[in-house]
Amino acid sequence: MSPSRAVALIVDDSAVNRKVLARHLESLDIASREAGNGREALEALQSAGSDVGVVLLDIVMPEMDGYETLAAIKADEVLRHLPVIMISGVEELDSVVRCIEMGATDYLPKPFDPAILGARIRASLAGKRLHDLEVESAARQAELLRTIQLQKEELTRFLSPQVAALVSSPEGAQLLAGHRRLATSVFCDLRGFTPFSEAAEPEEVLGVLREYHKTMGELIVEHGGTLEHFAGDGLMVFFNDPVVQDDHVERAVRMSLAMRDRFDDLSAQWSKRGHSLGFGVGIDTGYATLGRIGFEGRYDYGMVGTAVITASRLSSAAAAGQILLSPRSHADVEDLVEVEPVGELQLKGFSRPISPVNVLRFHVAGEPTAGAVVATGASRSDATA
Amino acid sequence: MDAPVLDEAVVEELRTSVGDDEAFIIDLVETYVTEGATNLDDILAAAAAGDPVALVRPAHTLKSSSASLGAMRLSAIARGIEEAGRDGVLDGLADDADLARTTWLETLAAFTAAGLRR
Repeated sequence: MSPSRAVALIVDDSAVNRKVLARHLESLDIASREAGNGREALEALQSAGSDVGVVLLDIVMPEMDGYETLAAIKADEVLRHLPVIMISGVEELDSVVRCIEMGATDYLPKPFDPAILGARIRASLAGKRLHDLEVESAARQAELLRTIQLQKEELTRFLSPQVAALVSSPEGAQLLAGHRRLATSVFCDLRGFTPFSEAAEPEEVLGVLREYHKTMGELIVEHGGTLEHFAGDGLMVFFNDPVVQDDHVERAVRMSLAMRDRFDDLSAQWSKRGHSLGFGVGIDTGYATLGRIGFEGRYDYGMVGTAVITASRLSSAAAAGQILLSPRSHADVEDLVEVEPVGELQLKGFSRPISPVNVLRFHVAGEPTAGAVVATGASRSDATA
Repeated sequence: MDAPVLDEAVVEELRTSVGDDEAFIIDLVETYVTEGATNLDDILAAAAAGDPVALVRPAHTLKSSSASLGAMRLSAIARGIEEAGRDGVLDGLADDADLARTTWLETLAAFTAAGLRR
């Protein structure tokens, strides 16, 4: 018997009727199982590995009649979708109506007409197959969604949450393709990291980096920054893309200040272990191209523009503890922050000097903004990358 | 009783539908004889006990299996008994049961005469 052959369960207390039905089914290439009453039928259906695809159910039977059997099948979570065709004499139409109201699929009048028998069984089996397909497809869809969710979660471990969300959003493709936008770029790195990594054990270097990345990573997420990359002790974050942020410069400055504060806590612990590390930041704002950068197999979501280079150079120029803000960025938040000038800097690769400021703190709410610039900053025009 | 004891047309229809498989028909008649005898015993016992509820199921089965093999007279009698049992009518039940037994024997003889019993 081929495994794909449909199987019908004949439930009838008359052995004569069962034999006639089984014989007709055989000629329709449908295999049959037999049960003499409802109890036997349920036992057969509930047994492990039941291959029954349709039930042919008589109404008047000893022990457990057709009504009780039908009710039990419809109450069973697994069996309820099994098609049940009532077998009935023509004088039993009232009973058939009751059974169909109880969930029976169809009825077969006795004596059996092989053509009608075949048509009704095939229709019921097709309905069941459709239902099974729906169940299967729903399960597959749920599995697919689980996989996508899992991949998304996995993705957020490597990418910034914004980029991970972007990748799986409908407008993602368009944004990934590249676009021009005003954005603020933040570069930070550690002062004294190179000598430290040369002197310390690799495990120790990794330990310090892990703490540093964890702490900074939390602050990036907290302030809604998009992390472009971590590279050793350096990290680059940008704001206002892919998520639009009207206060992108302020966010960048607030994040940098929070990073500096947290870094002070970290470095206090590190210095107990004999490591002397400092933290420097550079910030610039400008129009840039954002989107997918890289090559097939390895893409980053990145920002390309002068602001990125300026921020990088400012970060390199910053002394330990300094947050150097470009004039363009400063103009955007000058009412909010207290800064000190650091004089003119000639940055590597730029023809003209730049006059950034070092951010000291945010104004406390309600405090006057006048005298925001504290004229104590020393000129650092010698500073280059 | 108008219905024939054995309606050969029903047997012929059944025979055609199973591709003239005579062995199957003979086997089916044998099953019918075994099953029918049990049904008849149950009917007689229920009638003797005056239990109409107990009549319904064996009368129903006998009605149905008799009709399948063309034993139309017995099927009609069994139907009458089934209906009387359902309605709880006890009058004339003993006579009907007796008629069923007589007709049963006639039916067996008809099957034998038709060459459908081994």
